[in-house]
Amino acid sequence: MSTELSAAETDTAVEAASPAKTGLSTSSTQDRTPLGRIQSDTNQLFSKCLYAFHSFGNLGELSENMRILSLNAELAAGRAGEKGNAVRALTQYTRELVARLNGVNLSMLTLKSETYNQSASALRTLHQLRLLNRALDELNVRKGEFATVAVDKTTRSRADKLSSLLDDVQGMTRNVNKLSAEANGVSEVVSQAGSIATNIAIEASAAGDHEAEFDQVATTMRGYVAQLHNMVDMAGSPIRDAGSVGTNLQERTRQNIRS
Amino acid sequence: MISQTIFQQPGHKWLAFGQDPNKPEKLIDTNQIVIIGGESAIILDPGGIEIFPPMLAALTDEIPIENVKHLFMSHQDPDIGSSLPLWRQVCNENVEIHLSWLWTTFVAHFDAEANIQPIPDEGGTIQLPGVSLQLIPAHYMHSSGNFSVYDPEAKILWTGDIGAAMLPHRHRDSFFVEDFNSHIQYMEGFHRRWLGSIRARDAWIASVSKLDIDIITPQHGLFFRGEDVKRFLDWLSRLNIGSGLDSMGGGNNND
Repeated sequence: MSTELSAAETDTAVEAASPAKTGLSTSSTQDRTPLGRIQSDTNQLFSKCLYAFHSFGNLGELSENMRILSLNAELAAGRAGEKGNAVRALTQYTRELVARLNGVNLSMLTLKSETYNQSASALRTLHQLRLLNRALDELNVRKGEFATVAVDKTTRSRADKLSSLLDDVQGMTRNVNKLSAEANGVSEVVSQAGSIATNIAIEASAAGDHEAEFDQVATTMRGYVAQLHNMVDMAGSPIRDAGSVGTNLQERTRQNIRS
Repeated sequence: MISQTIFQQPGHKWLAFGQDPNKPEKLIDTNQIVIIGGESAIILDPGGIEIFPPMLAALTDEIPIENVKHLFMSHQDPDIGSSLPLWRQVCNENVEIHLSWLWTTFVAHFDAEANIQPIPDEGGTIQLPGVSLQLIPAHYMHSSGNFSVYDPEAKILWTGDIGAAMLPHRHRDSFFVEDFNSHIQYMEGFHRRWLGSIRARDAWIASVSKLDIDIITPQHGLFFRGEDVKRFLDWLSRLNIGSGLDSMGGGNNND
């Protein structure tokens, strides 16, 4: 049987993704300009998303452990003959949950990759926006003989960049909502897997010589359920925060475009 | 940022930009050159992204931005052309970027959509109305895909990092070297460390020594004119380069 995911390992992964460890600022006190606030919010949104994704970092491994557990339980059910019929049926349900977890995991990996790209693009665009703003300031101060066209083009470029920034921010916010939906999916698996573990434990009590074997399956399953529960719990707060930051960030970016 | 005309005749001009007094100290100081031929212009080594704002503002004192038809990068370093994506925003959309073929996919990390015209190892020419610029191979000086730009009419050679000097602020009151001997101290460390190939150094010097040069314009520090051109080439030909090898057990820099 594959090793279980320890709580310590989960904590380490999540700690590694925490704002303090990633070096991403969660404070907007450093730069109070409109772009500074957008940058701070973007950093914060990315940090929250990162934290949430890391909460589910071991989902794939846990899903594989559940699959192996279901295979071993099916073998044990076979050895138990008629007394193992109900357990055999429960292993089929377990494999359906595993398939669902695999789907969630795949979806989360895609969301994570998209969010990384959107965040990188947003920060790159923000850097360029700062420079375009500085260029406009310099052009306006210097008032060169041929500045008019340069001012027009820089202004247009700035508008394009803000629009591109809004696209990225909206994309990140959409992905937070999708992540929330996937986390809900894991919650449902937690509930159903918990029921399966309980039912296997009940079957164990009537399984005679096979009681210990089925008990072990139920106990291991409960351990996996606890780990899944822990993932959902840890992701809950950053997902909620990210949703809120994302909404504010979109509004802030729109304000900047309007101004 | 200050600018100075270093060559001018009807329909043909060289402008130097640099020595921005507001530049943050942590950014290396760079010179940018704009060559005007008729109604067209080229920027040689347009600079790092952080100097784009003052450079754009200073440029519009001199020419309309739409006249910039070419951007040339002597090599791939960020202080040479990380401003590329911003220049493309303000120049005409068909602005051509000239760069060694060796670096086109690398520089795409600055700007994946840039219209880069790869320069073959042998070099080539860039034509502006009434002005023909020769691209002189300067490979391994210091970059492995590197070019100097020679204007035979103006008799000026743009050398990128060759001839570079790390000047203290107090010496940035002119674009030209006034006392070659006292200028050496600001060049020596750079050339000893950045240049590593004696063969490349000798080949480049042999190549440019055939040219009729009045002014050498490096990307950092001051320009050499008149007798200082020969003084610089002589000094460089004797310099012990490849000092980085000292940290690798000495090495044997015969190449």
